[in-house]
Amino acid sequence: MAHDHAEAEAKNYDELKLAGYLAEFDNVDDLVHACEKVRDAGYTKWDAHSPFPVHGIDDAMGIKMTILPWIVLGGGLTGLATAILMQWWMNAVDYPFLISGKPYWSIPASVPIYFELTVLLSAITTFVSVLALNWLPAFYHPLFRSERFKRATNDRFFIAIDDADPLFHKKRTKELLESLSKEPIEDVMDHVTRPPFPKEIIYTAVIAACATFIPLAIAARARYSTSTEPRIHLIWDMDYQPKYKTQRETHFFEDRRATRPQVKNTVATTDSVEMDQILFDTGRDPATGKPVTKVPVPTTELAALMARGQDRFQIFCTPCHGVAGDANGTVSNRAAALMTVGKATWVKKTYHDDAIRVQPVGEIFETITKGKATMPAYKGQIPARDRWAIAMYVKALQESQWSDKP
Amino acid sequence: MHALTADQIRTQCTLGDDARKWTGVLRTVGFAMLATAFFLGYREGDHYAKFQSAYLVGFMFFLTMHLGSLFFLAVNHLVGTKWNITVRRLAELMAGNFPLLAVLFLPILIPVLMDNHALYEWMSPDMQANDHLVHLKSPFLNKSFFVVRAVIYFGVWIMLARFYLGNSRAQDLSGDPALTVKMRKLSAPFVILFALTTTFAAFDFEMSLEPHWFSTIFGVYVFAGSALSFFAILTLIALFMQERGRLTDVITKEHYHDLGKWIFAFTFFWGYIAFSQYMLIWYADLPEETFWYLKRQAEPWNMVGSFLLFGHFVIPFGGIMSRQMKRNKATLAFWAAYVLLIHYADHYWIIKPTHNEGTLGFSFLDVACVLGIGGLLAGSYIARARGGLLSPIRDPFWEESLRFKNI
Repeated sequence: MAHDHAEAEAKNYDELKLAGYLAEFDNVDDLVHACEKVRDAGYTKWDAHSPFPVHGIDDAMGIKMTILPWIVLGGGLTGLATAILMQWWMNAVDYPFLISGKPYWSIPASVPIYFELTVLLSAITTFVSVLALNWLPAFYHPLFRSERFKRATNDRFFIAIDDADPLFHKKRTKELLESLSKEPIEDVMDHVTRPPFPKEIIYTAVIAACATFIPLAIAARARYSTSTEPRIHLIWDMDYQPKYKTQRETHFFEDRRATRPQVKNTVATTDSVEMDQILFDTGRDPATGKPVTKVPVPTTELAALMARGQDRFQIFCTPCHGVAGDANGTVSNRAAALMTVGKATWVKKTYHDDAIRVQPVGEIFETITKGKATMPAYKGQIPARDRWAIAMYVKALQESQWSDKP
Repeated sequence: MHALTADQIRTQCTLGDDARKWTGVLRTVGFAMLATAFFLGYREGDHYAKFQSAYLVGFMFFLTMHLGSLFFLAVNHLVGTKWNITVRRLAELMAGNFPLLAVLFLPILIPVLMDNHALYEWMSPDMQANDHLVHLKSPFLNKSFFVVRAVIYFGVWIMLARFYLGNSRAQDLSGDPALTVKMRKLSAPFVILFALTTTFAAFDFEMSLEPHWFSTIFGVYVFAGSALSFFAILTLIALFMQERGRLTDVITKEHYHDLGKWIFAFTFFWGYIAFSQYMLIWYADLPEETFWYLKRQAEPWNMVGSFLLFGHFVIPFGGIMSRQMKRNKATLAFWAAYVLLIHYADHYWIIKPTHNEGTLGFSFLDVACVLGIGGLLAGSYIARARGGLLSPIRDPFWEESLRFKNI
């Protein structure tokens, strides 16, 4: 019984009715001319089809101006507003970060973002709106049943009048189209009852839509919970390598030390380097391990070195330490100002502190080389000789401010 | 409207006898105003310094506008545009002004040849020898090379103008489609020639006023304003011709719509380029670049700068965006005239602060220069227009262009 019922329903889908008329044209001028006639006859539910955009077809069809520009304007302004909000929130509120002395939320630096987001949202709005305004994507249309209509994307032009049009008349409408087209007019047929939309597609779509929430849910859970597990390392890059690090255990050697002790009756390579070179590179006397008090450069070159030191000092050191070494550089002042509003922790370190001005030149050299506290190491940026030059200039600055020294 | 007879078309495309009167009036006004400007400049007693900068502003205002016509012709032939054909002759006639522009360049060139450094201070021997940067730039920035380059620029421009106007007019007589093919083919190298000459002319005539300053995008900046002002003046010329009863059925609402689109596009392009130049200099903050803007951000030039930001970009961008604005002759005419005014302000802002720190220095001298140069150019434009048709009616695509409709 149930089987019969299903069969009867299936049959029902094969029953066809007239859904409109299709007229074919082999050139664009005939199409435009025919459109004008159909428009003048007062039809409203009809369409023209062409393989390419036709200039002036809107007028010929009597189509009113689209509202698309206004929708796109809305999309563009939304993009602009979003960009302004985003730039302000990220740069001035959530994560203020000083970049080359510019204001946190500066208009010129933000304009490219404003521009791009405006364009992006305009483009997306256009794309989506064009589809939506044209009721696309469409899975089915009675016209797709016509064999001739397939040439609409290739080399033929068509006018299709829908039977839903209030003026539609089986005879008169056909006569009108026959008077316009040289080709026979085709009856567009449609199912009396359309088969329902396949349930499989709906289910798949719903499941797929739900599945997109899974990664979001996992991310949200991770964001608001704590865990003793290390985080998931999806991309390893070079984080783990088959090598031993200092002081690690190995089973290869009997003593299980990965770091190998010096082999008996050999000399470490550093021992062969001249002591002077070590002193020159580290600022410390290799014999005593203490910072040296004299610049390891011949006396005749000291004057030139001092000039060089001033030059290098002004390039590398003044941004923080200031011209006089009194910690009044731009960066230092900015950090101190930020501290007053609770956005930084900063201690101004002047060279003229008692603790610092008694430091031997070797120790200052070492600080420049290795860095100290918030000060980064400059070994990579400044050659050793220039570091000595700066250290010497720093000592000279200290001398110049040491008024109580006899 | 489609049923225009050949006679009707010819009548609409030919200027009447009253045009002769216009030529005379415009040329007289032009000469009188230039003489007035020269006299006012002489009375300043500053070795024509004031006259030269006022004249340069006026000259650049018109030169850039005419350069736009070469761009329009070359690019449209290059891509095979059809909509523009009915208005193309109006642009070709404009390009025909280049020999006169070369003559009008003499008030800039003669002081240079006479070792007057009031305008281009880098030419002074003192600066050439003692200013480190100018000394380094001297292989390019020296008097003789400057003159040679100017001759090359005007030579190229006159050649391009003669090419387009000459071939197009030859087609009026012969109707030979091969001429269209020839113009399209040669437009490819000509676009390159145009780009190079325009860029370097912008460097030479305007950027070198501040010899320490450099901006590689400056040529594009000048070009943006040049194309913009060209489309504005072309629109006004077309409207003027229709006002005088010519081209009534030859230029339609659709053509105005497209001219309006170009004005809109270049309004935005100008803003884009002007901002690109500003932002990079602002961000890098190098003293040898920023001083140019600092000078223009100081009183009272900051007012002109803000006026340009809003007047040259924000206001016309919003104003010309709408379709209705471009399809209505009255509103389009308003925006075209507005764009020309603001284009003058742009070049005033580029040139004048160099020699006028702390003062706008605007006087009747500036007005006289504009009216003088403009009068002479407009006079010869009409004289040239009387010598032939106002639209290339025998172009193979002319009728297609007439039927053109925007989607």
